[in-house]
Amino acid sequence: MLKISNLHVAIDDKEILKGVDLEIGPGELHAIMGPNGSGKSTLGYALAGREGYEITAGSVEFEGEDLAEMEPEERAAAGLFLAFQYPVEIPGVNNAYFLRAALNAQRKARGEEEIDSMNFLKTVRESLKSLKMDEALLKRAVNEGFSGGEKKRNEIVQMAVLQPKLAVLDETDSGLDIDALKLVAEGINAQRDGKRSFLVITHYQRLLDYLTPDRVHVLAEGRIVESGGEELAERLEAEGYAFLEAGSEA
Amino acid sequence: MVALLERLAPESTLADDRYADIRRRAHQRLMQHGFPDLKTEAWKYTSLRLLEKRELMPDAGAAAVEPAALPFAADVIRFDAGLVGQAPVDLPAGVRLEPIDPGELVNIDYGDRAGAMAWLNLARFEQAWKLVIESVLERPLVLAMTLPEGFASSVHPRLKIEVATGAEAVLIEQQRDHGAGLVNIVEDIELQRGARLRHVISRRNADSVWVQRTRVSVAADADYRCCALELGGRLVRQDLAVHLLEAGANGEIDGVAYVDTRQHVDWHTAIDHEVGPSNSRESFRILADGSGVGVFNGRIHIQRGADDSHSDLNTANLLLSENARINIKPELEIYAEEVTASHGATIGQLEDSALFYLRSRGLPVDQAMALLKFGFAAAPLEQAEPEAVRAWLNQDLHSVL
Repeated sequence: MLKISNLHVAIDDKEILKGVDLEIGPGELHAIMGPNGSGKSTLGYALAGREGYEITAGSVEFEGEDLAEMEPEERAAAGLFLAFQYPVEIPGVNNAYFLRAALNAQRKARGEEEIDSMNFLKTVRESLKSLKMDEALLKRAVNEGFSGGEKKRNEIVQMAVLQPKLAVLDETDSGLDIDALKLVAEGINAQRDGKRSFLVITHYQRLLDYLTPDRVHVLAEGRIVESGGEELAERLEAEGYAFLEAGSEA
Repeated sequence: MVALLERLAPESTLADDRYADIRRRAHQRLMQHGFPDLKTEAWKYTSLRLLEKRELMPDAGAAAVEPAALPFAADVIRFDAGLVGQAPVDLPAGVRLEPIDPGELVNIDYGDRAGAMAWLNLARFEQAWKLVIESVLERPLVLAMTLPEGFASSVHPRLKIEVATGAEAVLIEQQRDHGAGLVNIVEDIELQRGARLRHVISRRNADSVWVQRTRVSVAADADYRCCALELGGRLVRQDLAVHLLEAGANGEIDGVAYVDTRQHVDWHTAIDHEVGPSNSRESFRILADGSGVGVFNGRIHIQRGADDSHSDLNTANLLLSENARINIKPELEIYAEEVTASHGATIGQLEDSALFYLRSRGLPVDQAMALLKFGFAAAPLEQAEPEAVRAWLNQDLHSVL
């Protein structure tokens, strides 16, 4: 599904990612943890194709295609989704209108027919209900006036509607209370069908408690310095990142 | 500019009817003051030099053109070329249209050269009309003015609109220009005690120079709300002055203007609180693309004694290209006690983060930009009522973005 090889990414000529290697197979859920400033969000933005995140070396293949050659909207149409750490407010643009326009743009790019409004509304309503979000949000402007938790849950609603092949979730758990965290985790689990893959960027183990990741990676100073199973997340939670430094010194 | 004067207003061609004295007086004032130039404060961002380069044909009146169909039920008055000729017959109950008595025009004073175009109107108008609204109108009343392709002369429509005590109306000015002439409108709107007027200006122009001066007076407890959608034109100048004359008067202006290459739009608004308590609110947005030029000058004046008044003025603007220009000037002058007044002004560009967010969801860059522009521009139109009118304005806005 996703194959990242020796990825170097620079922002304003400053190298943030310094050789990341990562492979995610179909249906797998990988978690990336790491201290602040380690490059976690940079990885998410680089995958989604944000301007200014320059790939200076290495490669990213998504289903065999070179991601670096694709525009952000082409990556979306190919099945890549990024849930933003800070979802952007779009004043004046109706949430339902935006979501349908996005879905149809993707379908058009893939040569599929536009979705009819009945089916669209049905899908959106189900997602909203499962995330315990008010349907009135559909009529509001995208993320405008949403609480922090509503914004994060809205990202999961978008994911559920857009049905990506690979979802990159950038700190979707930060700022959520425990109930909202559970809802988001359920929203993610509901999308796990054995084919869809996930890359979950997080600071805390608590989200992973609900998600049971296949692999956990630690990103530090622009490189993956440790990989393991769920137990790695538990160890990080208990000991912090200090043991990594101790390990590297040893 | 002297040549321009002689060309636009040759004394020998002034019509000789019961308004003749009024026209002659206006002509003299015009000759005395001349036209504004860039040193005239109120015209510092908008030059009328374009008129000098134009070979305007002798006033011949424009050929009749059907206005574009509206997607809602309305009573339409065709105001082509200033309604020269007969008044239309199909007016709804409670609406009258009649010629203005010359006596009402005798003491008009448009001041110095800043008011030259209004003087020109008074020197050149053919028939001055009065539209009287005396009841609560069920359907929007539309003043439709469509200038056809090939329009290359000048028209100087002149209209007074009276909304009587207790009357209510939605009045829509549907203005479409496809020509390259001069349209020079003067309108006076009077809201009597307790009257309510929702005034919609929907304008989309080609190459004509379009100058419109709108003066609104609002009596006690009357409510005036303007909502404007200005979709560009070679040269458009709108002056909108709202005078809150008595306690309880309310005046609101919401507007959005979009300009692209070879377009210039200038909105000068003034809200004058002459007595308190009175309230006003204004929100105006400009989007400038290509080499388009947008100007917004919004003045709030709270006079001595207009105590306990409230006013809020906000203008937000979007530069969409390196060659576009936007000039904004909010002005707040307060001479009264116990007032609350606020103003804010911003000029910015489309946000990269918002554009990326939309693209990351699959929207191609053009569609994403159009959506962001629309989201920005549509805000002032939220105030338009009824909903069918708001939807119509949104549709028109959508068509240019």
